[in-house]
Amino acid sequence: MKRLAQELSLEGQPGAFAASLMNSSADLVARASEGDQEAFRLIFERYSRPVISFIYDLVSDRGLAEELTQETFVRAFRNLGTLRRETKLSTWLFGIAKNVAREALRGRIRDNRHVDLDDKAVLDLTDHQPVPVNRLLNKELNELIQRSLALLDDDKRLVFTLKVFQQCSYEEIAEITGFSIPKLKTDLHRARSEMRKRISPYVRFES
Amino acid sequence: MKCDDCRNLLADYIDGEAIDTEAEQITAHLITCAGCTSEFEALTAEQDLFARYDRELEITPAMWNAIQTRTAAESRPVVSPSKLNPLAWLAGLFAAPRFGVAFSGAMAVLIAAIVIGVMYLRTHQQIVPSNESVIAHTPGSVPPPPIFVAPPSPLKVKASERMPSEYIARTKNSAGSNVAILKTSTETDQNDVLFLPIAYTEIENKDTANHIAQAQNLLRTIRNIHLDNEGDQVDVTYEKAMSRRLLDENVVLRRDAETSGKYPVKDLLGDLEPFLIDIANLPDKTTLKELGAIKDRAQKTEIVAALQSY
Repeated sequence: MKRLAQELSLEGQPGAFAASLMNSSADLVARASEGDQEAFRLIFERYSRPVISFIYDLVSDRGLAEELTQETFVRAFRNLGTLRRETKLSTWLFGIAKNVAREALRGRIRDNRHVDLDDKAVLDLTDHQPVPVNRLLNKELNELIQRSLALLDDDKRLVFTLKVFQQCSYEEIAEITGFSIPKLKTDLHRARSEMRKRISPYVRFES
Repeated sequence: MKCDDCRNLLADYIDGEAIDTEAEQITAHLITCAGCTSEFEALTAEQDLFARYDRELEITPAMWNAIQTRTAAESRPVVSPSKLNPLAWLAGLFAAPRFGVAFSGAMAVLIAAIVIGVMYLRTHQQIVPSNESVIAHTPGSVPPPPIFVAPPSPLKVKASERMPSEYIARTKNSAGSNVAILKTSTETDQNDVLFLPIAYTEIENKDTANHIAQAQNLLRTIRNIHLDNEGDQVDVTYEKAMSRRLLDENVVLRRDAETSGKYPVKDLLGDLEPFLIDIANLPDKTTLKELGAIKDRAQKTEIVAALQSY
């Protein structure tokens, strides 16, 4: 799977698709860094959804995630000239997004951001036995994951989000976060265990 | 491989981060170990669960408008120091008052030395091939002493000009063919049709369409398997292999669809993925119960109809 993904993935190893896309991204970056708004709009269209999802996972607030996504792209536009040729655009954008989100969260009190598990929606789930995963409603599932994610500490949530939701490689996560690979592997392992512990009372996986 | 080692690496294995030798060992271990297979299935089911996470976020036109308003004033972004003109940088160094005349003089001497050195090296490199070519085509000649470095005398140049016409022709031909190869390569790299975004999109769409058609066929096959009794078994080895292959493709195509902003396609492939995982994880001899779960879900989610409408 990894080999195929590398051959075909965006900005991955040499291959027809990857090369063409890499060229395309490089071309967009080159044009945007010369002030071409249309090229930058295409970059925004391509990357805004992963970026806003990533930020939302970090801040757990839709309005704030939208604001911070705007800030991320404004900073990206101003600093396109510093983007190294060998750096993936998505990795670079996630790096900016992480900084923007961390700055925004720095002033907030940690406990206010975390969701109390006495929250009504979660209590509704606890009224029942664990639900088979296939019968769990999407809304319930979304709330459950969002609340479980919010309970992870910052580093674990960051690594978990990048790996599980954004499907970044260890090398990319290390580049975005500045963590060593052993540290991020440990954080990821713990984050997975914690997520499983929080989700399993509500969900039953059918074998 | 021991169970503990296997379980420590299972997440990496599922994420595609396990190195090839580890992956082979895990695959072999999973065939024989029910406990680790169960853990593998639990992890896969978790991945499936997380893949269903929908944050219900929308990218509104207002977001781009706000960004455009803020960036419109900056027609050019801040230029990084690395992009400064090297001549201007050099001029700045000379203009720096702290270095004064002495530094300027030293720099001038240094630059002159570099220029002379480069000229010397270029001249030297031109002589060596011409000597070699003469030697190569006059087998009886005595090689020059190694310590003697001859300047590029007109005689030597003439000698090379007088080389047999066959040699010159071959050299030209060889050089010409090299250039041709390089040129072809450059053209492929720079101007190949694949590099046009439209052409790429067409290929990507075609790949996605093929993929979806194959997945649809697979799901129909699964749906059409009929077992009468609970104890009956059917061999789904081929379907499993097909599902694994499609799963690999699906992951890549889904990511590409998301990256290029094709969210309906991304969602469709995201909906398809759990089915592919489930089919890939079926036992070779599958029973009515195992197939029934997939069939029921396929019916409930109307995945085949969704694929057909692509």
